[in-house]
Amino acid sequence: MAPQTPAVVMDNGTGYTKLGFAGNDSPSFVFPTAIATKSQGGGGGGSGSGRPAVANKPSFLTGGAGPGSHLSGKRGTEDLDFFIGDEALAASAGPGYGLHYPIRHGQIENWDDMERFWSNSIFKYLRVEPEDHYFLLTEPASQYHLNYSAPLNPPENRENTAEIFFESFNCAGLYIAVQAVLALAASWTSSKVQDRSLTGTVIDSGEGVTHVIPVAEGYVIGSSIKSIPIAGRDITYFVQSLLRDRGEPDSSLKTAERIKEEYCYVCPDVVKEFSRFDMEPAERFKQHTVTYPNGKSVTVDVGYERFLAPEIFFNPEIYSSDFLTPLPNIVDMTIQQSPIDVRRGLYKNIVLSGGSTLYRQFGRRLQRDIKHLVDERIAASERRSGGAKSGGLEVQVIEHKRQRHGPWFGGSLLGQTPEFRSYCHTKAEYDEYGPSIVRRFALLGGPGST
Amino acid sequence: MLLLDYQNVLIESLLKDRLAGAAPTSIDQVVSDFDGVTFHISTPESKSKIQISIALRCFNELVKYGAQQVLEREYGPFIVPPEQGYDFSVSVDLDSLPPDQDARDDLVRRISLLKRNVMAAPFEQAFDEFKALQEEASKYTSESAPQGVMEGGEVRAIHYREEEAIYIKASHDRVTVIFSTRFSDETDRVFGKVFLQEFVDARRRAIQNAPQVLFRSDAPLELQNVPGVVSSGSGEIGYITFVLFPRHLTPQRREEVISHIQTFRDYFHYHIKASKAYIHSRMRKRTADFLQVLRRARPDSEEKERKTASGRTFRVQG
Ligand SMILES: Nc1ncnc2c1ncn2[C@@H]1O[C@H](COP(=O)(O)OP(=O)(O)OP(=O)(O)O)[C@@H](O)[C@H]1O
Ligand SMILES: [Mg+2]
Repeated sequence: MAPQTPAVVMDNGTGYTKLGFAGNDSPSFVFPTAIATKSQGGGGGGSGSGRPAVANKPSFLTGGAGPGSHLSGKRGTEDLDFFIGDEALAASAGPGYGLHYPIRHGQIENWDDMERFWSNSIFKYLRVEPEDHYFLLTEPASQYHLNYSAPLNPPENRENTAEIFFESFNCAGLYIAVQAVLALAASWTSSKVQDRSLTGTVIDSGEGVTHVIPVAEGYVIGSSIKSIPIAGRDITYFVQSLLRDRGEPDSSLKTAERIKEEYCYVCPDVVKEFSRFDMEPAERFKQHTVTYPNGKSVTVDVGYERFLAPEIFFNPEIYSSDFLTPLPNIVDMTIQQSPIDVRRGLYKNIVLSGGSTLYRQFGRRLQRDIKHLVDERIAASERRSGGAKSGGLEVQVIEHKRQRHGPWFGGSLLGQTPEFRSYCHTKAEYDEYGPSIVRRFALLGGPGST
Repeated sequence: MLLLDYQNVLIESLLKDRLAGAAPTSIDQVVSDFDGVTFHISTPESKSKIQISIALRCFNELVKYGAQQVLEREYGPFIVPPEQGYDFSVSVDLDSLPPDQDARDDLVRRISLLKRNVMAAPFEQAFDEFKALQEEASKYTSESAPQGVMEGGEVRAIHYREEEAIYIKASHDRVTVIFSTRFSDETDRVFGKVFLQEFVDARRRAIQNAPQVLFRSDAPLELQNVPGVVSSGSGEIGYITFVLFPRHLTPQRREEVISHIQTFRDYFHYHIKASKAYIHSRMRKRTADFLQVLRRARPDSEEKERKTASGRTFRVQG
């Protein structure tokens, strides 16, 4: 390949997939990580296949196959008949197709669907011959020690991925990066970040979960990762419930999501915010117009949910009864549980990433609340030690322009560096050593590299 | 289904959005397309002027076969001097768009087909040459025809990928299109052969109207004197010949035939890869079934091997 082809960067999230080429500052495609396949009777295995059989095919074609005889059930071309992304949502609205989300909580759960999702992403959307390109994929931190539901990303997941990329697609080379590390690299674009360090605490909040991930010099401190079961989807549900309670003319999930993304923000103080709304209703209350494909439209009032919805990060009790720890406390606990010599760096570089960190004033409130916790602890220890002054601790939350697709953008930055290819495993190496080769990757963008 | 679009989806959706009045923002994307094509979509001057540039490795060859004329015809008023590092550029000014919707849709379609159109040039030329030869040949009997009429025209070679090329040759009764394609992977070669056999058989069975397809691993006769063609294949290179007959070459079908045949290589490789995915899913299912059988067969209480911290093993009764 005379002029080098750009690396393909793919960040497959629970909710959305970000696809594009290294070197660009935004992904070329962002669409739901969803696949619509022909619904089949029986067809064991697949996720979400608890749906009833749809008789879209004469039974003699399926050979009267009972569940389990998947092989005889798959004779025709229904395997090739599927859609991904927005097209999948559209197809599943009609008859005959079932909608599946192959990724749950950041982890790939259905490899058949994922393989087809990838193949379509590459050929239909990106339009590249995978043999011509190197690929950078992302994964959640490999070792989770979560205080809440504990999924583990076993090394087999990487091997499965490698098998698909090298054996099905013959891709030229592959690098699998941890999303949090990429999110740190993405923050280098912020003017607040002076040194391009890969030490920091990443708060990645997307559709499904919110992770707090401490990273020291490019390595995730697995034992201190925490996650909270509150993220974008929950906030959407919360908005929806408020719309419903008020009997708004449209309280669909879609509308709730739009309202969330467009009008919500984080306030410094809930009580004061309520009184602001009462004092200046004209400025604070909004109206959202929903226009339907048939041309009709309705108006939905937007009120306290503007600041109440994202408030569930800071006061979870208004939404959930079994998870009660505010996000700032989780961040503080995460750092406190990390090795003492990196804590300073972790407080100083708290980096936001993912769609659900985009609320206005989210970073500022987080910084204030964490700072408050830290200062209190310092004051307490100073009192205990009888007046000895400590130097204090800098707490800084970094917001930046590329936060929304942080992991993708970090991948784009690192994937365009001249040394990127030398950090990848190549098809030739894979053929020689087998799938286990992907258990280890040298740290890209770490100390020593440019 | 697994058909590939002819147009670039990103360019299409970007332009569609902007032309429909989406808020102007600055764009700067360098993206690849099949066959080593690179596009640069950008707003170099102002947010309302979108420039699209294309670079192709075979651009000089295409120019030799009439690409410039095709591009003039398709993009006339939108053409701007090629951006540095690219072969050809067009620019769309959102503030001076054609007023009616149909013209706008056509513009989006046209621009998103940039790769298709530039690569169509040698095909168009060959199809025209076929017509000329056909007319010429009708004047003679096969014995009396002068040199050049029966043999057909020159072979047009387009080296569109590093090790792969398209060869197009017009004769008085057909246009022959030959793809040389390279399989770096053993498995792919096997899959490829199976597919090609399907193509060959399909025509024999039922689809009489399909073009004739031939597959061989050494260079076909038509390419014998073409420079750069290795005649005895190493096994990695295969030659796929499509014979287009006059019924494929009518003005009504020309457009579609050109679009279709251009995407052959990518379509072919896409299918090989999709088939491997299909086989993999069957293998996964097999493995899962197998594991289930094994699990069922496992006795309830079972000896487990454990390791101590120092690495010694000991057994516990499960
Ligand atoms: N401007 C915005 N304000 C608030 N929320 C937003 C905004 N834009 C997007 N979101 C929300 O962000 C979420 C998607 O974020 P993201 O793409 O980071 O998730 P993901 O990577 O798919 O999921 P995960 O990281 O959980 O696997 C959705 O819930 C979406 O509603
Ligand atoms: Mg994500």
